[in-house]
Formats: sequence, C-alpha cells, structure tokens
Amino acid sequence: MILFFILAVPMLLALISFFVKGLKTLGRINALGHLSVMAVTFYFAINCKLPLSLFNFFYIDALSVFFIFVITIVTFAASLFSIDYINKDASSGAISEVKARFYYALFNFFSFSMLLVPMVANLGMVWVGIELTTLASTFLVGFYNNKTSIEAAWKYIIICSVGIIFALLGTIIFYYAVSSVSAAKTLNWHEIMLLSKSLDVNIVKVAFLFILVGYGTKAGLAPMHTWLPDAHSQAISPVSAMLSGVLLKTAIYAILRFAVITNNCAGPNYTSNLFILFGIISLVISCGFILVQKRIKRLLAYSSIEHVGVIVTGLGLGGLGLYGALLHVFNHAVTKSFMFFGAACVIKKYKKDNLNVIKGVLTAMPFCGVMLILGMFAISGMPPFSIFFSELFILISGFTQGRYFICGLLIALLSIIFGAIVYHLSRILFGKKPQELKEASETLSTKLSFLFLLIFMCVVGIKVPVFLNKIIISALEILRGNYGL
Amino acid sequence: MHNYIFLISILLVTYYMVIVKRLPALVAGFRLQSLLLFLITASVAFHEKEAALYVVAVLILLLKVILIPNFLTGISRKIQVNENLGLFLNPQLSIFVVLILTYLSYLFTFKIMSFADKMQSATFALTLCIVLTGLFIMIFRLKAITQIVGLLVMENGLFLLAVTMCKGMPFLVEISIFLDIFISVIILGIFVYRINALFTHIDVNKLNSLKG
Repeated sequence: MILFFILAVPMLLALISFFVKGLKTLGRINALGHLSVMAVTFYFAINCKLPLSLFNFFYIDALSVFFIFVITIVTFAASLFSIDYINKDASSGAISEVKARFYYALFNFFSFSMLLVPMVANLGMVWVGIELTTLASTFLVGFYNNKTSIEAAWKYIIICSVGIIFALLGTIIFYYAVSSVSAAKTLNWHEIMLLSKSLDVNIVKVAFLFILVGYGTKAGLAPMHTWLPDAHSQAISPVSAMLSGVLLKTAIYAILRFAVITNNCAGPNYTSNLFILFGIISLVISCGFILVQKRIKRLLAYSSIEHVGVIVTGLGLGGLGLYGALLHVFNHAVTKSFMFFGAACVIKKYKKDNLNVIKGVLTAMPFCGVMLILGMFAISGMPPFSIFFSELFILISGFTQGRYFICGLLIALLSIIFGAIVYHLSRILFGKKPQELKEASETLSTKLSFLFLLIFMCVVGIKVPVFLNKIIISALEILRGNYGL
Repeated sequence: MHNYIFLISILLVTYYMVIVKRLPALVAGFRLQSLLLFLITASVAFHEKEAALYVVAVLILLLKVILIPNFLTGISRKIQVNENLGLFLNPQLSIFVVLILTYLSYLFTFKIMSFADKMQSATFALTLCIVLTGLFIMIFRLKAITQIVGLLVMENGLFLLAVTMCKGMPFLVEISIFLDIFISVIILGIFVYRINALFTHIDVNKLNSLKG
C-alpha cells in the first residue's frame, strides 16, 4: 500500500499542476506532496519487513530503500527550491505561466520515473525506467528553448539513448545466459540471483561490460560523460540539482544490481578492476576540466563526474570502501543539490554565470554567500562535513588492502580538485559587489531548502544517523551477495 | 533454412543503408530492415508457437514499418530539409569501415563469447554488426534525422538479438520497450523541429557552442 502512495503522489501532482490556481500555491502543494512522500519513505524504511515482493513486479530490499530515500530527499529539497525560482521566472516573463505549469508536470513525471527504477524487480523494467528518466528530463534540459539549451538537450537525449542501448544489449545477453541454464524465462533480479552460480562466466562477463559502458554513460563515468556538463549547465536549476544529485545515482543503482550477479558468478575481481579503472579515469578527466573551468554550473557538473568517480572507485575497492561508496552516494546527492541551489541564486541575481565576472556574492547576497562558503568546503571534502568522511572510508579501505598506488592517486587528485574548487568559488564570493546590485534576502522557502540539506551535510559528518546506518549496512549485505537480507 | 535468408538479407539491407546518399533512401532502407525483422519475428513465433511473439511482430509492423518511417518522412518534408545526408565519409570508405566492423564483431563473437552453437554465434555476430553500423550512421552522417535513424537501426539489431537468441524478452518488458522507443522517437522529432526553428538547419556537426 505504502509503495503505491510513493508512486501515486508524483503522478497526482503532475495531474493537478494544470488545474491549481496560482503558481505559488501550486509550488507549495508540490513541495507538501514531496514532503509526504519523503515522510512515508522514512516510515517505510523503519517499519517494513524487507525484502518485499509484490505481484512479481515490485521487489524492494534494503538497497532499493536506500536509493528511494536519497531520491525523495533531493526531490523534496528541489520542489521547495522550485517555488520561488519558478515564481520569479514567471513574474519576470522569462517563461509563460503555461510553461511553468508544464515545468511542475515534467518535474513530477521525472521524479516518478526515478522512483520507479529502484522499485521494480525486473531488470528489463529497470532499463525502461532509466530510459523514462531520460525522456522526462529532456524537456527540462531544453526548458528555456534557446540555442544552447536545445543543443544540450539534443546531445543529452542522443548520447544517453546510445548509451542505454548498449545497456539493453547487456541486459539481453544476461537474459540469454539465464534462459540457457533454466527453463524459467525470467529477468527478475532475485530469481537470477538464485541461478547466478550456474551462469556461463564468459557470457556474463561480456554482458557486464556492456552494462557498465551503457549505464555508465547515464551515470556520467568518463569517457562517456560528454553529455553531462552540457545538460547540467543548461537545465533549469532545480532540475540540475536533481540530475546531478539523483539521476546519476539511479544509473549507479542499475550497475550495482548487475554487479552483484556478476560477482556471484565470476568472482569479485572482475567488476572491481573495471570499477577502479573507470573511477580513476573519471577523476583524472574531471580534475583537468575543473582546473580550467570558467562557468559555475559547468564547474559543479564536472565535480559531479569527479564524485561519481569516487563512488565507483569505492565500489571497486570493496570492504569498508563499499560502505564509503554508499554513504558517498547519499552525501554527494545532498551536497551537490545544495551547491546547485546556491549557484542558481547567484546566476539569477547576477544574470551571468562566468566565474571571472561575478564578484562579491558575500556582500550582495549574505545568506546565499554563507551557504556557498559552507557548500564549497563540503563539496571539496573538508571535515566536519559528510563528504570528507565517506572519502576517508574509501581511502582507509584502499590503504588497508595495500593498494597504495590507487590511494595515492586518489589523494593527489582530490587535493588538486579541492584547491581548484576553493579557488574558483572564492573568486566570486569575495571582492566588491557591482554598484548597481541591490542587497536582497532570499524568501523563506528558498532558505528552508538550503537549511534542510545543510542539516544532512553536517549531521552525517558528525555521526551517521542510526536508521541510515542500518539501511546502508543491510544494503551492504546485498552487495556482498548475501541475497534476501 | 529460410531464417538464414532473412538474416543475410537483413545484413545486406544494413550495408545498403551505409552507402545511400539521400534521406528518403535511408528511411526506405530502415523500413525494409524493419520489414525483415517483422518476418523473422513472425517466423520464430510460428515455430515456437508463442502468442506473445505474434503481438510483438504486429507491433514491429505497425510501429517500425509504418508509423515511424512515415513520421520521419513527414518531418523531413515539413521542414523542407536538403535531402542530401551530408557524408563525413564517402560511400566507398563507409562500406569499407562497416566491413571492418563486421569482421571485428565476428572476431569478438568467436574468440571471446564462444557459444556452443555455431548458428547462435553467427546470429550474435550479425546483430552486433548491425548495432555497430547504427552507431556508425549516427556518428558519420551529419543530419539530425539520420541520428534518429541510426538509433533505430541499433534498436533493430537488439530486437533481432532478443528474438533469435532468447525467443523474445518477457512480454511486459518488450511492450514497455516498444512504448519507450516510440515516445523517444516522437520527442526526438519535436527536437528536430526546434533545432530547425532556432538554427535554420539540422546539421548536428554545427551544434558546437558548448565546450570545455
């Protein structure tokens, strides 16, 4: 029952977005709806007995609950942030009122499709869900309908569709491997897990390679990342936060499901080496682009590639690194959305996004400036913020396994990126603000969306909350192949 | 036996799509390829006596043979696009590259995948070749519509793989995939209109303002 509530609310919100009078009211209803979804997910995570299987269609275990939880948190924050953002856009004439309503409808359809991905049992339906996320978000990337955003949207849908076709190829090969050892023709994850030991190792390995390249495109792994900076920088800002915060993670979720099967079948070394390879490539490439970046949202987009690289490297290292990687999924989702909100406020105020031109954010917009300083240190990995600790877990796991080269490389790249991000953002934060810019404060809903995420960033850095810890630990059991927990 | 004929002719149609220079010919090639895919699906359905596969075959006929090609032709007529595809590589060189791709997929299948059955190996190599050719069309032809066709060719390759090697995916999945593809083609079509309205051309190689 609860399950349907989580899926039904975004659909209902999408429907009513054409009927409610007044954009502000609509935005508030939207935020309230997503608050209820988040609360219900929270209740679900604590009280329900997992794994839960329904109609042979839904299958929810701790891993799914963890990702649903991350999605609902970021979606709620984005819906809170949207209220004022869309209202201002509509009142300044940047978009028409009808278009603003379309925004809310697409926003909810997008969040529905993301929530669907971790809930379904069938790996083919996971593919369908991930393709739906692309389709739902393309119009949000090309939302302003100008040359750059249409170009970004075209690249986004084309590159992601090609990537996802390779993922479908991998899925079909998996299906072939399953159907050749068992009469039961199934793509349900928990049923494949029962057969995983008897699958043909060679075929499964090839299939996983296609899966990793395919979903890796959607997850933003280098060198398949080329759509990401364009799409993230051109999308309407609350959606940039969702793209970076959770869309990339749904693709990682899909990779994880297949990785567990492959590990069971072919031993852990194969996937772990691939993960580390792609992770390090992502870190190296994003590091170069972060150093020379001129635009604030592109800077954050490349930082997303970096963090996806960190997550994947953590998955590859295993042990404590797995815990670190899952925690990093949560931390990066929260912190990066926070940063995109900050960047959105700055761009809206200054009407430009060039890091060389913007000056004096701290004096022009005190609240947002302070938030950006906190976020800048959080995203680049300073203690006491949460990202530091998840990166630390990953490094500890590497060092205890004696993989000094990878860990050394990781530390070097992370410290260069730390320096670059702090340098770029402190240039816009300090200095004299332009004369004509008036000091103004943000509205309550915007402030709340910042503070809501800030709480998670700080609290998880001090101590991982008990319930989150519990979900992650039972999700780890699933990743280690102890299926059914 | 007749399956061999279908498989070989689908490969030949794919080669044909690589050497054509004009958009209507490319779309016609796609229509023919989909028609062959329909025939293969129908014959597999007949042999396996699977009702679900018949539905899939009808969907292929409806969507890929009739609706989508008509839609693509409609777009190109409406925006009065220059019918030349704009080739980065001339037909001779293109077919040479695609032949190399064919050989590589053959090598990949026989050296790495090592299926027990020869027929399965051949089918897999063939579908891999079609997928790669679709990718080739997407990269080396510069109109936005040709990118859509390339994508659809890749998808045809996948359907061929699913039908011939797995006797179709689970029914619900297959239907959802069809729906997804149809929606994505429509969305891509809308974007072709928008690109044409904003840029007054649909040459994707000129969409290069976002860098770094």
